Amino acid sequence: MSYDKPIPSKGTHTSPFWEGTKAGKLMLPRCEDCNRVHWYPRHICPFCHSMNLEWIEGSGEGTIHTYAVQHLVFSKWAKETPYVTAYIDLKEGDRMLTVLRGVDPEKPEEIRIGAPVRVEFEQADEDTFIPFWRVVEE
Amino acid sequence: MPGTLYKSAAIVGAAEANQIGFLDEPATSLQLHIEAIKNVSEQTGIPISSIEGVFSTGWSTELCEHLGITPKYIDTTAVGGCSFELHVHHAMAAIHAGIIDVALISHGENGHSANKIGGRSLNYARGAGDASPSHEMSTAYGLAAAPNHYAHAMVRHMHRYGNTREDYAHIAKVSRDWATLNPRAAMYSKEKHPFGGPITVEQVEDSRLITWPLTILHCCMVTDHGGAVLVCSPKVAASLNTKPVWIAGAGESMGHGNMLEMEDFTKTSARFSAEAAYTMAGLGPKDMEMALVYDSFTITAAITVEMLGLAAPGEGHLLWKDGRAAPGGSFPINTNGGGLSFNHSGMYGMPLLIEAYRQLSGTAEDGIHGDPRKQTSARTCVVNGTGGSLSTTGTLVLVADD
Ligand SMILES: [Zn+2]
Repeated sequence: MSYDKPIPSKGTHTSPFWEGTKAGKLMLPRCEDCNRVHWYPRHICPFCHSMNLEWIEGSGEGTIHTYAVQHLVFSKWAKETPYVTAYIDLKEGDRMLTVLRGVDPEKPEEIRIGAPVRVEFEQADEDTFIPFWRVVEE
Repeated sequence: MPGTLYKSAAIVGAAEANQIGFLDEPATSLQLHIEAIKNVSEQTGIPISSIEGVFSTGWSTELCEHLGITPKYIDTTAVGGCSFELHVHHAMAAIHAGIIDVALISHGENGHSANKIGGRSLNYARGAGDASPSHEMSTAYGLAAAPNHYAHAMVRHMHRYGNTREDYAHIAKVSRDWATLNPRAAMYSKEKHPFGGPITVEQVEDSRLITWPLTILHCCMVTDHGGAVLVCSPKVAASLNTKPVWIAGAGESMGHGNMLEMEDFTKTSARFSAEAAYTMAGLGPKDMEMALVYDSFTITAAITVEMLGLAAPGEGHLLWKDGRAAPGGSFPINTNGGGLSFNHSGMYGMPLLIEAYRQLSGTAEDGIHGDPRKQTSARTCVVNGTGGSLSTTGTLVLVADD
């Protein structure tokens, strides 16, 4: 196994998300009462405080909300510096943090806020696929 | 005779998590909190969105973020099993003071389930740790230190307002100018520190990259610092030889815990904490004669002065760029040199208070804490602390005596 970055310890209510990643699906929590998607997964809808939550398969599409280029980190990511992190506005609503792919960390000015991105998954261990987002052609 | 707080508040409902005891299906502490909160909300008919104060043993940030609420009174007192009785006392005082009408006191502790899934976390500063879903969904990407996060806000702020990185570099340059008037500042002089003494905007721009666009001179230092202040009643204050600096207004708020939940990267909850403080004081931004704002990064200071109403959105940096915030300027800011050049031990709220006291009591220029030109003539000062990842804010409006 070659993946050597931090692997999240998984909560008790997020398994539909992690199961989805194994099948290449971006599963998102949605409120059955107000129909809004939220991220990260909650025990309660943060918008209307309903507890009637369901999981839907997301499109895996989004846009760059903002980004930064990491030159100094202390995790296993240190040897990858510089690398680009970004917050992604999901097509379905709300926002996700990621390491952005398909961009040049040496040319941060060329990265465009609003650029379309698509999710992909990398296997980290037997149980875990990590989502990453990649800039796609418009 | 009853005391002042007599019947000034009441407990109006009480509920528990759906399942308690030795759970077969393990639950996190967070889940136990949330279920109980939902249940007490339904019991009382008080919507969760109406909760104004949140009291818990270290969990308040996690709870408010998870619920998506913006409290105006936050308490995380954690002194063991009796903490919740203390929370009631604190809530009563806050209600009596007219700051809030609805206080939530919450508990969740998976003492049994923790054997299976961990995360008992009695009083962590940020409650849930590994068991927090926001942590779970961001830990894979290697971000830990503050600049790793804050840079994202800076890029969005630059994008939204068309500012350049150099615009914010003026904040670092001017703060250093103040530090050169403060012998206690870590960056007072070349003699005191090899990188001390005056700096130029170009040096700020050309210094080492930490997280683009933040170079190291856009970032605060990490030093040692200790400080204390005393707050007293007017009666005690009148009996002392020191000059009182009056707390005219105070407010607090939080927008999120994890930056993942920061709705608008160009705004902090200081717009709410400031509004509360100004309202309490009966004063506004135009009445302020100086400011002390948390400058973990240049961008923090820029956004904060915008939130405090001292500058238009996107124009916070101009206070430094055009010299108003500088020594001799019309609106001094961070007269000790700030977290950027004075001291910053990790939590900078205390130095803000100390410098505000010195300025408003006329003791900012004693040769130890300030050289000539450091003492301003300000009689009012707005102080704003920012905690977490641009998450939580506290604002004070202070006024000099007489
Ligand atoms: Zn909802």
